[in-house]
Amino acid sequence: MAEANTFYLEIITPERQFYIGPAQALIFPAVDGQMGVYAGHAPTVTAIEPGELRYKVDGVWEPAAVGAGFAEIKPDYVILLVGFAEHPEEIDRKRAEAAKLRAEERLRQKQSIQEYYHSKAALARAMARLKTRR
Amino acid sequence: MASIKEIRTHIKSVEQTLKITNAMFLISSSNLQKARKQLSDVEPYFQKIGTTISDILHHSPEINHVFFDKRPHIPAEKRKIGYIVITGDKGLAGAYNHNILKLAEEKLRQSANTSLFVVGQVGRSYFMEHGIPIDVEFLYTAQNPNVGRARDMSETMLELFRREQLDEVYVIFTRMVNSFQMEPTIHKLLPLDPDAFPQEEETSSYNRDVAYVPSVKAVMDRLVPGYVKGDLFGALVQSYCSEQNARMTAMKSSSDNARAMLQTLNLSYNRARQTAITQEITEVVGGAQAAQ
Repeated sequence: MAEANTFYLEIITPERQFYIGPAQALIFPAVDGQMGVYAGHAPTVTAIEPGELRYKVDGVWEPAAVGAGFAEIKPDYVILLVGFAEHPEEIDRKRAEAAKLRAEERLRQKQSIQEYYHSKAALARAMARLKTRR
Repeated sequence: MASIKEIRTHIKSVEQTLKITNAMFLISSSNLQKARKQLSDVEPYFQKIGTTISDILHHSPEINHVFFDKRPHIPAEKRKIGYIVITGDKGLAGAYNHNILKLAEEKLRQSANTSLFVVGQVGRSYFMEHGIPIDVEFLYTAQNPNVGRARDMSETMLELFRREQLDEVYVIFTRMVNSFQMEPTIHKLLPLDPDAFPQEEETSSYNRDVAYVPSVKAVMDRLVPGYVKGDLFGALVQSYCSEQNARMTAMKSSSDNARAMLQTLNLSYNRARQTAITQEITEVVGGAQAAQ
């Protein structure tokens, strides 16, 4: 590592390698709330909820929407494996809103427990996108 | 020698087959390009998820979790083994479907309690024809793999595993080694086996002190489905890519064969025509001479 206060960050999705490079800080949505990471963090494994993620590169916070996944954190290296990751400018607000409405509509109907989980996951994805896009 | 008419019909039929094989060649080569791109996009994720899981497993103490339970109390002959077999939706892809089905049948013979989950129409109709029962509700196509399909499949498998209707789950698919070599592969999906992951040479010093937030169970509950989903998606993409590649190669060689055949047929057609003309002239000349 070039600097002591940076760590190597990898954000990888099945569709692409979203970000690979140094970062100074990272905030991501964990199961029980937001979790912040600086260089030198204790080795941790945790799950990621759909939501808004922010990472700091050269003093600038970069926001992104992420899907469910998990993170492996080491003092000098953080890897995030998530279902999707998108920059705010890539998010189609109208589409996300339509997806949110669709998911809410489905949640009102009677459905099997599995369908219920799918609808809830779809809703969470839509909310994550909308939150990041604002 | 065959008559002119016969040769002409033969040429026509070969030409029509050539049209079909050539069209299929073009379609599969354009599909292959798409599939290749998808494969190269998914590959880093596929590899990373494997190494990360392996890293986590080797850095963790004993994990008591349902997805790691090998159920050693069940004897080998009573174990219920599920196989996900990924075949193509269509034939005419060289030995692609044949190879994967051969491997599947070999595995089926080895154990008594097996359930089959088949992806792709070719495999489904093959097993039905041979009277081998398959799960009829497991209906997924091999075309254009996407994450949603992999998720549905992995949820089904995890559910069956959790309810102890399956003790082991394997996926049989075709791995694309390079564009000339594809090999049918079997890969264990569940239960997760820490020993199955290669232990990497450890460069870091933080062994065995990994914290799980909020708890091991909560993390594994999310991590394992994610891993199985990623694994299945990778298998689907690899298979689809292999299928297109196999079809492209098969169609290319059959188009080449058709062209070679047309050439010889044209030659014999011309010869037959020339013979007929020569004969006619001889007859005319002979007739004229006789009339003098």
